[in-house]
Amino acid sequence: MPDLEPITALGSNAPRSLSSGSLTLEENAALALASVSLRRNAPKPSPFGLDLPGPGGWTGSQGVSAFWTGPGQWMIEGHHRADSDFAVEVATSCPGCSVTEQTDGFAAFEIRSSMGEKPILRLMEKLVNIDASRLSAGSATRTGLEHMSVFVIRRAPDRVAVLGMRSAAGSIWHALEVAILRLNAAAA
Amino acid sequence: MLIPHPLLGLRDAQEFSYLGDASLLLRPDGMAENAAETFFPYVYLRENPAGLHRELWFHEQGDRSWLVVTRNTVTHEILGAELAGDVVARNRASRDGGDLA
Repeated sequence: MPDLEPITALGSNAPRSLSSGSLTLEENAALALASVSLRRNAPKPSPFGLDLPGPGGWTGSQGVSAFWTGPGQWMIEGHHRADSDFAVEVATSCPGCSVTEQTDGFAAFEIRSSMGEKPILRLMEKLVNIDASRLSAGSATRTGLEHMSVFVIRRAPDRVAVLGMRSAAGSIWHALEVAILRLNAAAA
Repeated sequence: MLIPHPLLGLRDAQEFSYLGDASLLLRPDGMAENAAETFFPYVYLRENPAGLHRELWFHEQGDRSWLVVTRNTVTHEILGAELAGDVVARNRASRDGGDLA
C-alpha cells in the first residue's frame, strides 16, 4: 500500500493562513460540502433539522449550515467533517432529493476581523461587485471575483467566507491576499 | 448596468450572459405538419427593434437562472425582469393567446 499524504487545496500539509492588521485569512480545509436539489413537486427537506433558507440566505447551527444556491437548490456545509462521507449523511436526511458530493469541487476561505464589521465591509467593496452593506450576516450569494465564480457567505458581521473552484484555489488565495494586504497598507 | 433579479434584487449585468430575443421560448412543435415552415422564422428571423425588447439573460455567475429582461435598446434602460420559468408557465396556461404575454 503506497504511503499517501493528504494535501489541502493549496497543496500543503496544513491549511494556509495569513494575518494582516485586523483581518485574518484562513484556508478552511475541513469544510464538507454537499448540494441538495429538489425534484419536481418534492417537499422541502430539513437536513440535520436546518430550516433551509430562501433566496440569498444562509443559516447554521450545531456544526452544520446551509445556503441557497438557486430555486430549489441548497449547499449544505459540514464544519470539521471534510474527512467523512458527508454526502451520504445529507442524503439520508433528505429523502427523495438529489444530493451531490461537493467537498472536492470547492476550496473554502474564511476571513475574520478582530475589529468588528468595518474591515470586512471595506474588503468586500474591493473584492466583489455586490452591495456589502446589504449582504448582512446570514446572507450568501454567488458572484464573480476576478473572473472566477465564487460563493460569498456572510457568516457573522465580522466574518465572511469565500467558496470557489478548488482548481482555482491558488488564484482565489492570491486575490484575497493582495486585497487584504493593500487594504492594510492603505490604512497604515 | 444593473438587472433587477426577481429573487436576488439588483445585480451587476457583468454576472449575466446574454442569449437573445425572448421569442426563443416559443419553440414551435417539431412534430407538426408545417414544422419546416414554422422553424425557419423561429431559428433565423429576428425583430431588431429600436425601443422595447424582451430578451433572455442567464445569471451565469449567480443562481444560474434564466431571466426574461425587458430593455430599451435605445437608452439601455431596464424596465423589468422575471424568471423565464414563470413566463413559460404563463404561456402554457394561456397557450391560445400565443404571444409572449
